[in-house]
Amino acid sequence: MKDIARQRLGINVEAMDLLNSQIKMEAHASATYLAMASWCEQNGFFTSAKFFYAQTEEERGHMMKIFKFLVDVGGNPISPEIGNINHDYASIVDVFETTLDHEIAVTKSIHNIVIKARSLGDITTERFLDWFVLEQVEEENTIRDILDMIEVTGTEGVGQQMIDNQINNWID
Amino acid sequence: MTVVYKSKFYTFYQSDQKKCFYIDFGQKLVPLSFCQLLALRQKIITISIENHFYTEHNQHGLEILVFCNKEHLFVLNTFEILDLKELVEVGFSVLGISSPNTVIAS
Repeated sequence: MKDIARQRLGINVEAMDLLNSQIKMEAHASATYLAMASWCEQNGFFTSAKFFYAQTEEERGHMMKIFKFLVDVGGNPISPEIGNINHDYASIVDVFETTLDHEIAVTKSIHNIVIKARSLGDITTERFLDWFVLEQVEEENTIRDILDMIEVTGTEGVGQQMIDNQINNWID
Repeated sequence: MTVVYKSKFYTFYQSDQKKCFYIDFGQKLVPLSFCQLLALRQKIITISIENHFYTEHNQHGLEILVFCNKEHLFVLNTFEILDLKELVEVGFSVLGISSPNTVIAS
């Protein structure tokens, strides 16, 4: 019997399923950051809103990178359904703490796919994810730095306005 | 045609000559390209069999499966869906692009 399936698909189907889940996760992150941008706009944190608009685009970029990879290896990329986006935040600190939680969840998910790909001997998927592993280091570090800055600045008095102004330092 | 896997209700074939796959649904033999096979797999694995038992979402226990660019439509009951899930899971394992005995994620 010819190996027609392997001729058509360059990665393991379980890795493909996990990458489709990751596509959904990146899309959810993109939608969440857009909701955060909306909250920032409505609460007077206009520089933070710009930051989250940029984050939205970045997460969508990640999603498309995985989507196109699945196309390249002959897989079946799935356009994700996104729901249950939270628009309510208690404060600007809550917004950034939630962002860090999101980024940590994304990092864990990518690490899990790397571990699974390694166990399957799927070197193509493992190497593809190298970029994402390093990207997550950068993403988490950015949000940690912002939370450190918020802690140093404090939220009393004009603190919140100063925090919003300083977010400009993290907009590329 | 070579039999890849035969379940209780269905048989999964590969044709080396035509470089495609076939699923014999009993009343109909359906040819599938590999892309169509992947798309069908996606539809099958995302069917929530739990909805047939534990919720009011699917009390009748029937699923409408449309595939191959809407060329085919099947109405399948719970037993047939479970059998089709097994056919896909084991079949892909036999093809060597999936590991055996994995719980397929939805």
